[in-house]
Amino acid sequence: MDYMQSIILGFQVALQWNNLLFCFIGVLIGTLVGVLPGLGPVAAISLLLPTTFHVTPVSAIIMLAGIYYGAMYGGSTTSILVNIPGEAASVVTCLDGYQMARKGRAGPALGISAFASFIAGTIGVVGLMLIAPPLAEMALKFGPPEYFSLMIMGLTVLTFLASGPMWKALLMAAFGLFLGSIGLDSMTASARFTMDIVELSDGVGMVPAVMGLFGIAEVLLNVEHSIKRSVFETRIQHLLPTFQDWKDSIGAIIRGTFIGFFLGVLPGGGAVISSFVSYAVEKKVSRTPEKFGTGIIQGVAGPEAANNAATGGAFIPLLTLGIPANSVMAILLGAMMIHGMQPGPMLVQEQPGLFWGAVTSMYIGNIMLLVLNLPLIGLWVRILKVPYPILFPLILLFCLIGAYSLNNSVIEVLIMVGFGLLGYIFKKFEYEAAPLILALVLGPMLETALRRSLLLSAGSPLIFFTRPISGILMLISFILLAYPLVPWLRRKRAIIPQVKDEE
Amino acid sequence: MAKFNNDQVSGAIWIAVGIAVALGSLRYGLGPLESPGTGFLPFWAGSAIALLALIGLIQATLRRRKGAAWTPILRGVLWQKPLLVMAALFAYALLMKPLGFLLCTVLFTGFLLRAVEPQRWPVVIAGAVGMALGAFAIFDLWLKTQLPQSPWGF
Repeated sequence: MDYMQSIILGFQVALQWNNLLFCFIGVLIGTLVGVLPGLGPVAAISLLLPTTFHVTPVSAIIMLAGIYYGAMYGGSTTSILVNIPGEAASVVTCLDGYQMARKGRAGPALGISAFASFIAGTIGVVGLMLIAPPLAEMALKFGPPEYFSLMIMGLTVLTFLASGPMWKALLMAAFGLFLGSIGLDSMTASARFTMDIVELSDGVGMVPAVMGLFGIAEVLLNVEHSIKRSVFETRIQHLLPTFQDWKDSIGAIIRGTFIGFFLGVLPGGGAVISSFVSYAVEKKVSRTPEKFGTGIIQGVAGPEAANNAATGGAFIPLLTLGIPANSVMAILLGAMMIHGMQPGPMLVQEQPGLFWGAVTSMYIGNIMLLVLNLPLIGLWVRILKVPYPILFPLILLFCLIGAYSLNNSVIEVLIMVGFGLLGYIFKKFEYEAAPLILALVLGPMLETALRRSLLLSAGSPLIFFTRPISGILMLISFILLAYPLVPWLRRKRAIIPQVKDEE
Repeated sequence: MAKFNNDQVSGAIWIAVGIAVALGSLRYGLGPLESPGTGFLPFWAGSAIALLALIGLIQATLRRRKGAAWTPILRGVLWQKPLLVMAALFAYALLMKPLGFLLCTVLFTGFLLRAVEPQRWPVVIAGAVGMALGAFAIFDLWLKTQLPQSPWGF
């Protein structure tokens, strides 16, 4: 099937009324999630995952993907108007976005952020369409050793990019691997660490773990402080950027798009990192770097383009290799598995309707977001005024129902609450939960690939180094692991935590 | 506690966790390298946890000697509030089947609205009933999730 046929097939699927509806619901919820501080796309997708059990797999994936890229659009509104990031990828938008609002330029800031998001999101989807099919074809040549090495590389990249000491991130990944091994052994079907709890036979559920670590823990941290948000009181006008605004920001949008897309593709990369990198690049190429932080439009356009392009890029490893690039993709992987799909190189060939339907729905979703965001700014501002003390019981209630509805089991709820407590303690002791989640999801696949590889090589671990693709992936992992040991490189890496600490 | 810093304390706990995981895995059998057994991966995961925690502990001890002290994790925060929320969550999990979804949810959301960041009673009552009925309408009636009923039939 050539590209044109595939795209036509994709649009046929995406334009079905029910898929359009789910796409709309997804981007609407995504924007809402992005707008509301304290609730990110990871928690929102986990919360809403059980609600998709009754719809077709393609509608479910369209909606869940819509939440992800919709959140990137919504996050900027809160950053610009409240100076609090709606979600992590919009942290950097606060720096210049809020300053623009203070100078009476909230309208152009919101406008350029929406247009930059639209342009980058659309280019990101084009990139996904062009790169995913050939990559999937190449991935067909992958055997267990290549998959094992790729997963190791994904975990290493994520731990490398995590804030704080690398030993903590690696430790969380190892703990995630252990948690992923709980349940029935996939090769011998014997139970491990289940403590005779029937619900644990299927393993530790990813949904209760994510809802606990991200949803509940976030609420616990938020209620510790009396949150008082003040929405910047100004008349929002001139949403459409002027010619000068476009001239100033078009370069930033293009650079942000490419940075975001390629960092999004890398396992462990993603929207947060790419928005920071884009901001740093814009500052570097600017003739007036001293103006960054005072309300300069490039400081909004670049990062907003980057975080949206990254969402398109992040789908590539998931859809072609079955490897999630970040925690959101890890949940989508889980969602696809629940719906009976196996993301990976065969997905494009075996379920072209689903693959191309999901991808083309992102075009439509991006258009919906542009149409939604500009006229509905007033509504989002009003929602921002809902006090957190009213909002958090609702977030907790959604978590509780979501966990319960997985298996109609109270044990799942208790597991989620337990993970919530764990997530709270992790935050207090500065351990990041993202490597844990990725390892929890990858754990069973990684174990199967490891054991099959060792079976193939009659017990020789050299198989991971002697096969070319596997060897290269392993080499990259070793270089990343050795990074902190080299003093000059360690100083370079220290920049990332510093930037992230500003959150 | 002040004798140690945060990473020393957490590192020591992780060493214990890692050792427990590794020892626990031995029960399942590691198997030979050409055909790894059920305990193979968790054993190495546990060993990695213990080893990495040991590295962290050593680094933290070196930092402690240079003056990196214990940072109180609950200073300056309203720690009673997360405690109340956790208590409510555990109570909800344990009571949702005996009391049924609607009643349990009204009590849960009402408690949170009143106890954590106290709202006026009309807000508490309207909020609790509204959230419970809204969630019931979405999940039970629309999405057909089987939420637990009370012995009194609601």
